[in-house]
Amino acid sequence: MKGGMARLILVLGAICFASGFGLAMVYEITKEPIAYQKKLEVIRSLAAVLPGLEIDPDSQYRDLAGKDGDTVRVFRSEDGDGVVGVAFQVIAPDGYSGNIYIMMGVLPDGTLGGIEILSHAETPGLGAPITEERWKGIFKGRSLENTDLRVKKDGGDIDQMTGATISPRAVTGAVKKGLEWFRDNRDNILSAEEASS
Amino acid sequence: MSGYGVEFTKGLWSENPVFRMVLGLCPALAVTNTVVNSIAMGLATMFVLLCSNTVVSTLRNFIPDKVRIPSFIIIIASFVTIVDLTMAAWAHPIHKTLGLFVPLIVVNCLILGRSEAFASRHPVLRSVVDGLGMGVGFTIALITIGAVREILGSGTFLGYSVLGAGYTDMLVMILPPGAFLAMGALLGMFNAVDHRR
Repeated sequence: MKGGMARLILVLGAICFASGFGLAMVYEITKEPIAYQKKLEVIRSLAAVLPGLEIDPDSQYRDLAGKDGDTVRVFRSEDGDGVVGVAFQVIAPDGYSGNIYIMMGVLPDGTLGGIEILSHAETPGLGAPITEERWKGIFKGRSLENTDLRVKKDGGDIDQMTGATISPRAVTGAVKKGLEWFRDNRDNILSAEEASS
Repeated sequence: MSGYGVEFTKGLWSENPVFRMVLGLCPALAVTNTVVNSIAMGLATMFVLLCSNTVVSTLRNFIPDKVRIPSFIIIIASFVTIVDLTMAAWAHPIHKTLGLFVPLIVVNCLILGRSEAFASRHPVLRSVVDGLGMGVGFTIALITIGAVREILGSGTFLGYSVLGAGYTDMLVMILPPGAFLAMGALLGMFNAVDHRR
């Protein structure tokens, strides 16, 4: 063993330095594509919940106070006469495993344009069908007035899937809460001017 | 001195990392519920293995024995981070599916094992061939487990239906217990074939 302690420190330091340098370079190269992919994800989910409406997620949004003191970012699609549709994210905390993140699109009259599951950790095969178009499509055109937003097992109008109740129940509950929040804050969400709530 | 061919093929069968050495079981069990996931995880691991084997072998006379393990870990972790960032930038959907298991390649004992047992004692070219063979063997093993689980659990292969609409999915196969069942059955088959020879 030549050199002793100094050599150990030197070698390990050199490897750390080289590794840090390499990673910094890769980070610089991948930074923009990753940001772009994240933005693309938002655009894709907005297009799914508000079909036919255009939103630029970088500028057409408003941050509002949520029910529990949190901040909700509401994406707003506008034409000449005002807002024609909004979309915001809700979280279903009572899924089978972990939070379910949902993007929901709401039209000014309070009906749903659609919902999209952003991420979830439900059991594959059992809870995962909440991501299927067939099930998400049920929500289109629903509102607090025309639909009892609970799963059929609980006496509501939303079909749960065979064998799974927990995940659809969680999603349905979160969407209902989202619609209620929209109803209670409707003026604030739709107004042209930034209002102080 | 055996030829490079043997160095490559030993990873495929006689020293197959998953079925013979029973290494790297965490990803082999956790992400093999579909063939696509298996391929992605296999390729990511193979890339890290190839790079770490190359670098460790190149530096094998430069790194003192006393700090070899931390040095190997830094080298491996750097390549894993590179894979992680690259996948996030250019293979976003699969990166989202694999999630935490990409960073977890760092603690895949197969990679540290090859650095310690092979690359730190053999010349560069030989280590590259070893890494390639082990990587291919690992990928094949993952695809085998993934195929068994996806075909039995969802009736599909790479997303295409293979067992027809009348097939009732054996849901347990794509759930965590199914990983152990598939793994155990395949290990048993490998041992049986080996005993007969």
